Amino acid sequence: MSESKINIESRKKSLHYFFGKVVEPLGFKFTPDEEMMNFLLEQEVILEGKHGIPFCPCQPLRNDRIRDMKIVCPCIPFHRKHFDEIKRCWCGLFVHKDVLDPDKLPQLPQKEVNNE
Amino acid sequence: MSEKFSKAILANEIAPGGMKSVELDGNEIVICNNGGKYYAIQRRCGHMNAPLDMGTLDGIYLTCPMHCAQFDITNGEALSCPVPADLGPEVLPPIIGGYMQNIGMLMKHVHTESIRTYATKLEAGWVQIRL
Repeated sequence: MSESKINIESRKKSLHYFFGKVVEPLGFKFTPDEEMMNFLLEQEVILEGKHGIPFCPCQPLRNDRIRDMKIVCPCIPFHRKHFDEIKRCWCGLFVHKDVLDPDKLPQLPQKEVNNE
Repeated sequence: MSEKFSKAILANEIAPGGMKSVELDGNEIVICNNGGKYYAIQRRCGHMNAPLDMGTLDGIYLTCPMHCAQFDITNGEALSCPVPADLGPEVLPPIIGGYMQNIGMLMKHVHTESIRTYATKLEAGWVQIRL
């Protein structure tokens, strides 16, 4: 399907449905910042239209399938240790269930957690 | 479109979350049960004609078994293009590699279209469809 044929709003709604089912048992939820959530989901729809896969919008693609598949949203299982430390995923689409204000979460470089 | 509804199947033939294909007046149709609400869609995928009743239904979203294109069963809208195949790191023999390259070139021109939906109603235990 050409990118222009995808209705972005419809696809965002379906990704929201599917992602929610994946992240909930992992202890995460969508960010309460709705504007940010909508923006990130829209970027994923655009990436999916281009590559056929909704990659994380804040990570570069490396043309290395094994590494690239680890940034397919929701990428929580592949980077769990780091995300549990910072209580959010890298782009901030998902946060720990107990997070009310994502802006107050501390930054912590990945290298300080482990060598993923 | 006809105004007449036709009996398709007994409602209790499909468990919630299930699907079943029927043929009515030459139309291949899949009936989906989403929590007791019935939807009817064309059976053939809008991408490459695969039978959608062999796919996966999750809520109102149906995923094609062949290339994982997704559709909204409430309105037939195509929601995503097929997921690209992974041929793995193995280098294919030239004759197969060339064939796959040709297929890949052709596939770029195959679009995923939205699929047709049919009005349904539940009457006397039957799911009825308007063709």
